Amino acid sequence: MLPPLDRKLIRDLSRMKGQVVAVSLVMACGLAMMIMTRSLILTLEGTRDAYYQQHRMADVFGSLKRAPLSVAEQIARLPGIAAVEPRVVMDATLDLEGVDEPSTAHLVSIPDDRPVTLNKLFIRSGRMPASDARNEAIVSEAFALANGLKAGDSVTAIINGRRDRLFITGIGLSPEFVFEARAGETLPDNKRFGVFWMNYRAIAVAYGLDGAFNDFCVDIAPGTNAEPILQEIDRLLEVYGGFGAHTRRDHASAARLDDELRVLYALSVAYPVVFLSVAAFMVNALLSRIIRLQREQIAQMKALGYSSWDVGWHYLKFAFVIVFLGTVMGAFAGRFMGDGLVHMYTLFFKFPTLNFTMDWSATGLALGVSAFACASGVASVVWQAVKLPPAEAMRPEPPVDFKPSLMERMGLTRGFSPAFRMALRNIERKPVQAAFTVAGLALATGLMVLPGSMADSIDHILTYQWNDVQRQDVVAFLREPGSAGAINDLENLPGVIRAEPLRAVNARIRYGHVSRKLAITGMPKNADLNRLLDASGKLVALPEEGIVMSDKLAEILGAKMGDLVSVEVIEGRRTKRLVPIRGLIEDFSGVAAYMDIDALRRLMLEGETISGGYLTVDKTMWSTFMREIKDTPRIAIVLVKKDQLAAFRNTTGESIGIIQKLYLTLAVIVAFGVVYNSARIALSERSRDLATLRVVGFTQREVGSVLLGELSLLVLIALPIGLLFGRQLAAFIINAISTETIRMPLVISSFTMANSIMVVLLAALASFIVVGRMLKKLDLVGVLKARD
Amino acid sequence: MQPPPARVVFEARGLRKVYHTGELDVVALHGVDLDFSSGELVVLLGASGSGKSTLLNILGGLDVPTAGQLRYKGWDLTDGTERTLTLFRRNCVGFVFQFYNLIPSLTARENVALITEIAPNPMRPEEALEIVGLGHRMDHFPSQLSGGEQQRVAIARAIAKRPEVLLCDEPTGALDISTGITVLEAVERINRELGTLTVIITHNAAMAEMADRVLHLKDGQIVKTRHNEVRLPANELQW
Repeated sequence: MLPPLDRKLIRDLSRMKGQVVAVSLVMACGLAMMIMTRSLILTLEGTRDAYYQQHRMADVFGSLKRAPLSVAEQIARLPGIAAVEPRVVMDATLDLEGVDEPSTAHLVSIPDDRPVTLNKLFIRSGRMPASDARNEAIVSEAFALANGLKAGDSVTAIINGRRDRLFITGIGLSPEFVFEARAGETLPDNKRFGVFWMNYRAIAVAYGLDGAFNDFCVDIAPGTNAEPILQEIDRLLEVYGGFGAHTRRDHASAARLDDELRVLYALSVAYPVVFLSVAAFMVNALLSRIIRLQREQIAQMKALGYSSWDVGWHYLKFAFVIVFLGTVMGAFAGRFMGDGLVHMYTLFFKFPTLNFTMDWSATGLALGVSAFACASGVASVVWQAVKLPPAEAMRPEPPVDFKPSLMERMGLTRGFSPAFRMALRNIERKPVQAAFTVAGLALATGLMVLPGSMADSIDHILTYQWNDVQRQDVVAFLREPGSAGAINDLENLPGVIRAEPLRAVNARIRYGHVSRKLAITGMPKNADLNRLLDASGKLVALPEEGIVMSDKLAEILGAKMGDLVSVEVIEGRRTKRLVPIRGLIEDFSGVAAYMDIDALRRLMLEGETISGGYLTVDKTMWSTFMREIKDTPRIAIVLVKKDQLAAFRNTTGESIGIIQKLYLTLAVIVAFGVVYNSARIALSERSRDLATLRVVGFTQREVGSVLLGELSLLVLIALPIGLLFGRQLAAFIINAISTETIRMPLVISSFTMANSIMVVLLAALASFIVVGRMLKKLDLVGVLKARD
Repeated sequence: MQPPPARVVFEARGLRKVYHTGELDVVALHGVDLDFSSGELVVLLGASGSGKSTLLNILGGLDVPTAGQLRYKGWDLTDGTERTLTLFRRNCVGFVFQFYNLIPSLTARENVALITEIAPNPMRPEEALEIVGLGHRMDHFPSQLSGGEQQRVAIARAIAKRPEVLLCDEPTGALDISTGITVLEAVERINRELGTLTVIITHNAAMAEMADRVLHLKDGQIVKTRHNEVRLPANELQW
């Protein structure tokens, strides 16, 4: 048998189930986001850690020009090193049937005579290449899927200028390529970039590196500090053209995964805080109303001998039931959403398996956090109920005091209707309640702005960055730097309209004790294809001397315009020089540095060389051009802008689509919930006023407009605040996800704003309609005859 | 001011009202016949549950009878739709309740203005408040007015539309004697000066003396009717 107070609780709650559901839903939104993000963190981290561990993901990576294998043994003997895997890594061009554009096969060697020790492969299907096979390869799963390849198929590759047929023996994955993209690329283009694992001898012989290696990875003993090891390795490899070793933290794939986790961590805190504040207030408003209505019942309970604690606990239970419902719904929704979103991650991150793992501890935490938020939200109300002496509680509450509103005192409301004055005075009498209603609606509006602005940012990047900034159709890289005349060869390819040379040089840029390794791009001063624009969209001219770099790079280095940075070239003669920063550009992916091509050549102490060229191509000649490129062994990599664009749209577009649907749902729930709750409370608080109006001859509609006028006013106040909040939220999120690999500009289109406003207005309208129906059922006579 | 010649305002024949509450049918009106004329002041007397409030609600268009017929100046209200009843209340009837039911967020003047804004031929709010003797308290909020003053604002609000009928449900129920009498004076004055048919329900028999006609209700029926040859002025009532 339930105690009578609990039965009262259940019946009271079931009478106001609409509101209980509305508040629980808003709470559930925040908790679902929290449970979802925390579960995704658990899923990604758990999967990553297990994958890295089981497949021995290396701790240190590096590449070099060329060194004999004995040098690898020297590295292995360095103190603190557990294992070294020397290898040959090269990019080859693939000629896939039915594909115009050349694709890149990122060739990675595997030992012929022993199993792989580090970055061990996960074989999805098929087998490893036979130990003496020269033309067998394991192909990365993402590439195989994108191109419809399976074990037993073969592809044509141009390896060091020679056409060769490669037989696919198996499909595999590696912890090194969880995020599988060309170096420096922000998003994977699985159709045109894939990893091919082949026997060491097969690759080494083809590239003249037999008995040598040009890439390595290292496992360091647990508890060893990596920094001195990196320095030792760099020192050892300096004479072999080492490009600098780096830890897993700077490893492209690992760093990308870390970035994603950082974003999730930020969200897992930000969302519950925002949603729970609104929900806590909604519970507060709801409970204050209940307690006001049950004033006499409270007196009765106390008169009967229930202690203050019993009474207080009874009302706290109202809040806790809502918290419990919210948590249960939040857990289910979080699980459901997380399960769906994991799919989104498989677009970017490739694991042998990525199964959603529910973070049950997050559910417990959610329960705790929301119970705390609600308890603090209702504490004052419950306290007031509890401390009321029974005799006083038996008497009706004293009449509410009103005064002319501020606007009226300022004389701004002459000619306003009494109904409008009612609205103003009610808002002013309960400013906190009004403020939180506004806050809730602003939250809903902001929630709509956020995904809209992300789509806008992407649109901006697609149109601005890829049309206004990068005017080339193709970037072609030569296998080895060529003479200046090579640009004429590129220009003479069929279909090429214009070609501009580029020189890319691997270097380390250092300022103070921070440094970054990247390729400095040299371009002619009058370059017109790849344009450098600053944050305000102004063209940045390449200086005679000095360097122009991404805003982000300067930020990472902690340098500003005019500062001298040290540029250490890590190829050729390894020159080193202090160079002033002469310009900052705004770009959205990776970090880049540019110099005048001649200045760069002087820095390199070399003559007129180029690494490749920016090309514009006649669209009608596209296939001829591509065929020719495929057949030109000198050309190693071709970046086709429209392919990059398509890859960007596919991956990011799809994930933004999912996120937009999610946020739309959240926004609708919050907008509807907040307006409904406020309208219900207003209806209950003002039923007498409204009944009076009906009795004296106001129509349903007129009374409805009096009730909802006030809320409409709050909605109108909330919309601009919501747009601003959405802007801030977008700025926060964009800042949180702004990393070295990808950044987004803050763009909010008028369509996004209009759309956000529309959704919130429609949700508000829907709750108006629901409450309007209740208004119809108002018992006029009953209300008027009851004592307040 | 001379009241206009009397004419029939309400005509009720065989009015019956049955409420279905839970599994029980409660007969609130048991076949009531009556005629009320303009300018009349009628007091309905009866104990709780006698049906007087039900009768008043039906007369005022807050409810419809289960059976029987009700005509207002020849206009059949028996099967009034929501819309006709609202229109009827808006244009023809003024209500005064025991609990004044003023809007707390509006001043006295604004409470009256609520009606004058929607009625077709209203008096000015100030004029209505003058009639009930509150010309000097127009800009006060309900919480700043005494009970009697609040009730007089309610009366001003009821009459500001120049209704044909003024219906008062226990108008002095929440007031002490002297305040109650001030309120009744206001009602009496309106009845006299504007010729408004005024129906007061009460269980205070003393108020019967101020009426033209007194109807006693019991178990949903009119059991006794009394005509007063002379109406006692409200300020001479005693209870």
